Amino acid sequence: MTSRRQMLKSALLGGGAGVVAATALGSLGPEAAFASAKAQEVEPGAPDPNFAEGRIRSIKDNTLLVLGSNMVFHNIRVVDGTSLWKLGPIPFDQAKPGDGLYARGVRMPDGVLAAEAVWLNIVNIKGHIKNITSDKLHLDHNGQEVLCHVVPGKSVAIHSESPPSSDLSMLRVSQHVQILGAWRPDTNEVDIATVFSPH
Amino acid sequence: MQGIAALQPYVIALFLVWAALMKLFSRRMRAEAGRTALARLVGSARAIPTLRLVGVVELAVAAALLLPPVSPEEGAAAAVLCTGFLAYLTYSYATAPTSSCGCLGAHSHPVNWRAFARAGLLCVAGIAAIWARPYPLDPPLVALGLVEVVALLGLSAELDRYWLRPLRQLLVRIRRPLAVRSPEEIPLEVSLHLLYRSPAYCSASAQLTSDVQDVWDEDDLRFVVYGARERTAVFAIPLSGVDPSAVRVALT
Repeated sequence: MTSRRQMLKSALLGGGAGVVAATALGSLGPEAAFASAKAQEVEPGAPDPNFAEGRIRSIKDNTLLVLGSNMVFHNIRVVDGTSLWKLGPIPFDQAKPGDGLYARGVRMPDGVLAAEAVWLNIVNIKGHIKNITSDKLHLDHNGQEVLCHVVPGKSVAIHSESPPSSDLSMLRVSQHVQILGAWRPDTNEVDIATVFSPH
Repeated sequence: MQGIAALQPYVIALFLVWAALMKLFSRRMRAEAGRTALARLVGSARAIPTLRLVGVVELAVAAALLLPPVSPEEGAAAAVLCTGFLAYLTYSYATAPTSSCGCLGAHSHPVNWRAFARAGLLCVAGIAAIWARPYPLDPPLVALGLVEVVALLGLSAELDRYWLRPLRQLLVRIRRPLAVRSPEEIPLEVSLHLLYRSPAYCSASAQLTSDVQDVWDEDDLRFVVYGARERTAVFAIPLSGVDPSAVRVALT
């Protein structure tokens, strides 16, 4: 890992890397990306073959067996280049059966989805703050209480248009918020990634 | 015991008058009648007439309880009415768990343990009122009555905004439960927010195919790695600083 990091670092700082750079490997511009991108092949309304959602039933080697909410099974392969998110980037061994999942990647001819990005237990909920206790927001989401945990070093608040801050003490009881976070499977609890506050 | 029983008609009458006035005169309550569990029970077209009818019955029972002479039938009527409320709450909890009960005013809280505790307490009070006889009121009895009323008011979600919300706001202001404990640690989201606004990211974002693969901090920079098709995009984000144009990118 260290040598790979060193290699990436030297690529960035050593050579001609720039803010907006044409690298030795070709243009970074969006025109290049869109030129090579395949045309939209998915019919409007049809399921996207390169996307999967559901909950992990079992993990075998580098393949996740996922049961979708529409009762369709997906085989999702996680490779070296796959990004995994669970309140932040995580290694593969932190994916557990029972986790909810969204995955995007490339569908292989054998039906397996080779994942480029996997988001575990990611949730986006709106509600108003019923109460605030030590490192916890009690969120009222349509009458259901959702207990949102503040995770030191990870949770941030974005007030209106200001930059994110790890200081969440500006949040007030009874105000409306939107919370992006990681659900704790089979509970009504969420670890907070970002709290969006309108003021 | 005689004294406690004699007290109950007044406590029940107070809550019945409140409930009846809200049902008969609250415009907001009529507007929201279609969203209560009552609408599901009798149909939304009949929700408002039913609401009014219940209000009139409540007012009649309250008047009977308050006006002399005291008779066991009045207590029995109150007990029956309260049992009816309890049955209605159970019905709405079972069939429409997300609707409010529409008991004592318009609010959006679904039926919960507090609503059951209030209805149950009123039910017990109604049963006790059957044995009510004329009895002289003395200070301990009045104090007991006040405690009972305060307990019933405390269980009323309709009143939360007048006392529970300000109380919680005050406690949060005093205790500061979200005060930062490790300010030296910069969350990844802070760096990513800077990254998303940088020209470097805008130029490369169309190439990115994955989310963050790897992150590490070195020399006051935070390195963030993304997959970009068969290649890798690495960004260097200044840990301190707010200028998005300082972000660098390389594609390897």
